[in-house]
Amino acid sequence: MNHRGGWALIQQTWLSWMQHRSFFFLLAFGWMVPPLIYLFVWSTAARGGTIGGMTRGAFVTYYLVLIVVNQLTYAQTNWTVGDLIRDGRLNQLLLYPMSPLYNTLATEIAGKVVYMIFVIPITAVLALGLRPELHLSVTQVIAFIPALGLAWLLRFFWGYWLALLAFWITRADSLLSLQDALIFLLAGQVAPVALLPGVLKTAAIALPFRYMIGFPVEVLTGQAAGIDLAAGFAFQIGWTAAAIILYLALWRRGVRHFTAIGG
Amino acid sequence: MPQSQIIVQDLSKTYRVPEREPGLRASLKSLYRKTYREVLAVKAISFRIEAGERVGFIGPNGAGKTTTLKMLAGLLHPSGGEARVDGFTPWQRKPDYLRQIAMVLGNKSQLMWDIPAHDTFRVLAEIYHVPASQFDATLGELVDLLDLGDLLSRPVRNLSLGERMKCELAASLIHHPAVLFLDEPTLGLDVSMQRRLRQFIAEYNHRHNATVILTSHYMADVVELCPRVILIHHGELLYDGPLAGLSEKLAPFKLIRLALSEPAGDNLPEEAHVVSQENGSLTLRVNRRETAAITAQLLRTLPVVDLSVEDPPIETVIDQIYQEGTV
Repeated sequence: MNHRGGWALIQQTWLSWMQHRSFFFLLAFGWMVPPLIYLFVWSTAARGGTIGGMTRGAFVTYYLVLIVVNQLTYAQTNWTVGDLIRDGRLNQLLLYPMSPLYNTLATEIAGKVVYMIFVIPITAVLALGLRPELHLSVTQVIAFIPALGLAWLLRFFWGYWLALLAFWITRADSLLSLQDALIFLLAGQVAPVALLPGVLKTAAIALPFRYMIGFPVEVLTGQAAGIDLAAGFAFQIGWTAAAIILYLALWRRGVRHFTAIGG
Repeated sequence: MPQSQIIVQDLSKTYRVPEREPGLRASLKSLYRKTYREVLAVKAISFRIEAGERVGFIGPNGAGKTTTLKMLAGLLHPSGGEARVDGFTPWQRKPDYLRQIAMVLGNKSQLMWDIPAHDTFRVLAEIYHVPASQFDATLGELVDLLDLGDLLSRPVRNLSLGERMKCELAASLIHHPAVLFLDEPTLGLDVSMQRRLRQFIAEYNHRHNATVILTSHYMADVVELCPRVILIHHGELLYDGPLAGLSEKLAPFKLIRLALSEPAGDNLPEEAHVVSQENGSLTLRVNRRETAAITAQLLRTLPVVDLSVEDPPIETVIDQIYQEGTV
C-alpha cells in the first residue's frame, strides 16, 4: 500500500478539479434536479394530509437529505475507469509503484470536496425556504454515519466492478447507465421505498440499490428503525462485501487480460 | 564477471486478434461467432544489456519493438521465454522494480493537463518516496539540463508539444530510474527540439550511468544516441551490434562524391556505377573493398577539384532491410 503517494494524488486531483469548478458545479446541479422535482411533486401531493404516513414536511426532509446523500455517494469516477482501459491510459498507472485504485479514489475524494462546496449551501437555502420537519435522535445520527459510509463503499465498488468489465467488453459503460436507471427506480429517488408498490418494493429491499442512497436517508429521518434498521444493515454489509469481492476478482483477472493483449 | 542488467532469453509474444471479412453479412456473423487469428509479434528474441548502455531498438512499424519494450517495462505478459531486469521479472510489477524503471511513451502523457508540471513532479516524488532534499536536487539538475525555467509554473495545456515533452522526460526522471525505456520520445518534435532532447538524454546517461533503451523512427536519434542497435523485423532479431557494423554488413558499397573541373567523359573505371551526374559533380557507387584502388585511379585520371568517400545514408540501409526483411 502506498498511502503517501495516494494522498499526494488526491491533493493534486483536487487542485486540478478546482480549475474547472464551474463545470463541476453545473454537473452537481444536474444531479440535484431529479430529486428536486420529486421533492416538489410529493410535497405538493401531501399538502394538507399524509401519504403513506409522510407529511409534506417529511417529504421535504426526505428529499433534502437524499440530495446530499446522492451527491456524497455518486461514484462519478466509475465512468472514467472504462475510458482508461479502452484508450490504454491504464498503462501509465500500471507503471507506478502504487495501485491504480488510488487514482480513482483520488478523483472520487477530490470530486466530493468540490461538489460539496456547491451542494451544501444550496441545500441549506432550500431548507430555510421549504420548512422541513425533522425530529433527530442520537441513535438516528449515530446509525446514519456507518449507513452513509457503507452506502458510498457499496455504490463505489458496485460501479467499479461494472466498469472493469471494459477489460473484456468494449462499451461496458452501458451497464453503468443501466445501473443508474435501476438506482433511479429502486434506490428511493422516484419515491421512498416504503411507498413503492408490491413487487417493486420487494425488489428494492432485496437488491443493492436502496442501500446506496435510500437506506441512509431512511436511517437519518427515522423511517428505518428496529428490525428494519438491523435488516437494512445486514443487506448493506452483505452487498458491500459482494461488491468488493467482485471488484478484487475482476481486477486481478482484468489486469492479467490487459497485460496479455496489450493496452 | 558481474551479471548483465537486462537479460532476455527466447522472449516471445503472440497476440490473439479478432478478424472478420468486410461487409454487413460478415459483421452480423461476427456478432455470434467471432474468429481470431494468432499474430506472432515477437519471436524468441535473446539479448543482454549492461548497466549504462544506450541501445536503440529499430525496425519498421509493427516489427515488435514496442511490444518488447512493454514486456521489459512489465506492461505485457510474454507468451514465452524469460526476462530479468535488475534482478526482477518485469511483468510481476513489484513496487521495488517499478521504482527502478521509467517509461516515456511519446504519444501518451503522464502530466496532469490543467495544473503546472511542478505539481505533478511533487506528486511523483511522493509516489516514488523521493526524499525532499533529493527531489530539490534532482529538479534543480533537470531544470538546468532541460532549460525548464518558467515552464514548470505554467499549466501543461498551455505548453507547446516540445515544451511538454521536456516536462514529460523530467517527470520520468524524478525518481532517478536505473533503466529508462523511451518509446518514440521525439515523435512530432521539430529538428532543434529533437536535438535538444537527444543531448539531454546523452548527458543524463553520462552523469548517472542510467541504461537507456530507445525506439525511434528518426534515424538521427539512433545515430546520435545509440552506440548499439538491436534491429527487429517481423518479431525476429535480425541484428545486434554497432550501427556502423550494420551499414558495413548490409551495404557492401561506398559512395564517392567528386567535383570535376571538366566533364569526366569515358574515363570512369568499369567497377564504378554512376549514381548521379550534374554540373561537374559526380556520385559513384563502388564496392567497399575496391574503394581505395578506385579512388586512386580517379585522382590519377580525372581533373578532380574535390573528392569525398562516404558510407551510404543510414536511412537507405535501413529502408533496404525493411523492404527485404533480411540483413
